[in-house]
Amino acid sequence: MFAIDIQGLSKSYKTKRHLTVNALKELTLSVEQGEVFGFLGPNGAGKSTTIKCLLGLIRPTSGTATIMGDSVTGDNYRRKVGYLPENPAFYDYLGAEEYLLFVGRIFKMQEELLARRTVDCLKLLELWDARKRPLRSYSKGMVQRLGLAQVLLHDPDVYILDEPMSGLDPIGRALVKDIILDLKRRGKCVFFSTHITDDVEKVCDRVAIINRGMLQVVDKVDNILQQGIEGYDVRTTAANGQVEELFIEKNALQSFIQQSINNQTSIERIEPRRKNIEAFFLDVVAQQ
Amino acid sequence: MDIIRITLKGIFRDRVFQGIMALGVLFLFIPSAASLSMRQVTELSITLSLSLISFILLLLAVFLGATSLWKDMERRYMVSVISLPISRSSYLLGRFFGLALFLILTSTVLGVVAGVMIKLASGIYPSDRPIIWSWYVLAIVFATLKYILLIAVAMLLSTVSTSFFLPIFGTICVFLASGITQQVYEYVHSPISAQTVSPFLKTVSSLVYYILPNLAGFDLKVNAIYSIPPNPAGLVLTGAYFIVYTVALLGGSALLFNRREIG
Repeated sequence: MFAIDIQGLSKSYKTKRHLTVNALKELTLSVEQGEVFGFLGPNGAGKSTTIKCLLGLIRPTSGTATIMGDSVTGDNYRRKVGYLPENPAFYDYLGAEEYLLFVGRIFKMQEELLARRTVDCLKLLELWDARKRPLRSYSKGMVQRLGLAQVLLHDPDVYILDEPMSGLDPIGRALVKDIILDLKRRGKCVFFSTHITDDVEKVCDRVAIINRGMLQVVDKVDNILQQGIEGYDVRTTAANGQVEELFIEKNALQSFIQQSINNQTSIERIEPRRKNIEAFFLDVVAQQ
Repeated sequence: MDIIRITLKGIFRDRVFQGIMALGVLFLFIPSAASLSMRQVTELSITLSLSLISFILLLLAVFLGATSLWKDMERRYMVSVISLPISRSSYLLGRFFGLALFLILTSTVLGVVAGVMIKLASGIYPSDRPIIWSWYVLAIVFATLKYILLIAVAMLLSTVSTSFFLPIFGTICVFLASGITQQVYEYVHSPISAQTVSPFLKTVSSLVYYILPNLAGFDLKVNAIYSIPPNPAGLVLTGAYFIVYTVALLGGSALLFNRREIG
């Protein structure tokens, strides 16, 4: 069973001038359990539309989707999901602790467990000291961290995070990356949308790139990085002690090594020079 | 229950109740205002009290009812809540019952305060007619029901609107129209109007009469003021009308709200 299974999902809107906008076109995508999946795309590509369809916030024009085997047309499947909206907003007259208690009760968590998890999540997201303050006094980063706390609270199987790093400072971003990696270790599925490619490279197993509502690529991050190798930066030391820094083409590495052995030149270092995910992403988007 | 609790917390923390209590200071002036009418001090104090309670409940029903959903959508709170394992209908009903509960609480507090003021006023200038407190309470109960029904109207309009204009002004219009539909209906169907009202207008006014809520039956002020016994059958009918109409409005709201795209 897939954690998330999307089959032919489409969404079109009618504008005020009766024009049809196809926000999502026949999206088919599956995400395994225990997988960290990055959903990349430029602004307006259809990332948030996909996520909103998954959460039942908007109705797809056609297609189906399931989360942990349950169709997304009901309400109960959301018990298995932790969702962080893009630029989240919560009742600003509540404190962080009160909000988490409210969320936990909606998830029908046992009071004792809820109290314990609330403390853990507030401490993990560094909101413990501010837990009683009304949310209207929180900074954007604090609200984002509360969003993550409410996602973690009930320990779901599937995490759907829409731009989770948005509004966070470098410390907050590092914390979120650690949390995602921890979820991965615990076998949870994390599906997150972003347009920050560095995040994908660091935490994702697989990545999908969507542009103008159409899925462009789905591949493993390792494969993309491997295919992106253009050549190698090599540092050698000749028999006479002369040090050289060379760039060797991808296909010429083997013959270079053989030649170095023959010439009694020692190779000090070989580093692959490769396109990163950002370059790959830009190539894919530019192709369209 | 959680949504009801959150709704009540929101109202109290937005200091709505404190605002009402500040407005409630006006009740202190009721005995002196009523004393201006030397012969009907008790009657006037009851009139002023019930009118002031009615006015405050109207403000609450229109503004809280019309802005509750709109505010959640505008400030994007709704995305966070609707994505939790809660049905949209439960959310909507939670909001409605939270507001209804607040209205009941407000009318109870204001009813007690006004009752004290009426007692004071009637003590200074005793009336020939006894105050029948149960009818006074009944008048407040039915006024509260009327404004709870108006909250349901405001919520229905909120489910189809993207701004607060339609819910607020629509609710005010419905309130104004619903107080006179009964008279209009009776007039257009009377023999006296046969010459002046066209059949088309008659049909339209009948249609409007059946669509708009009829709030005239909820007004028991006269019974409370002049100690006239209310018609028990009429009360039962009004109570039943309240339940049926409110359920229909909430059902329609839930249907529309379930289809609404939230983003």
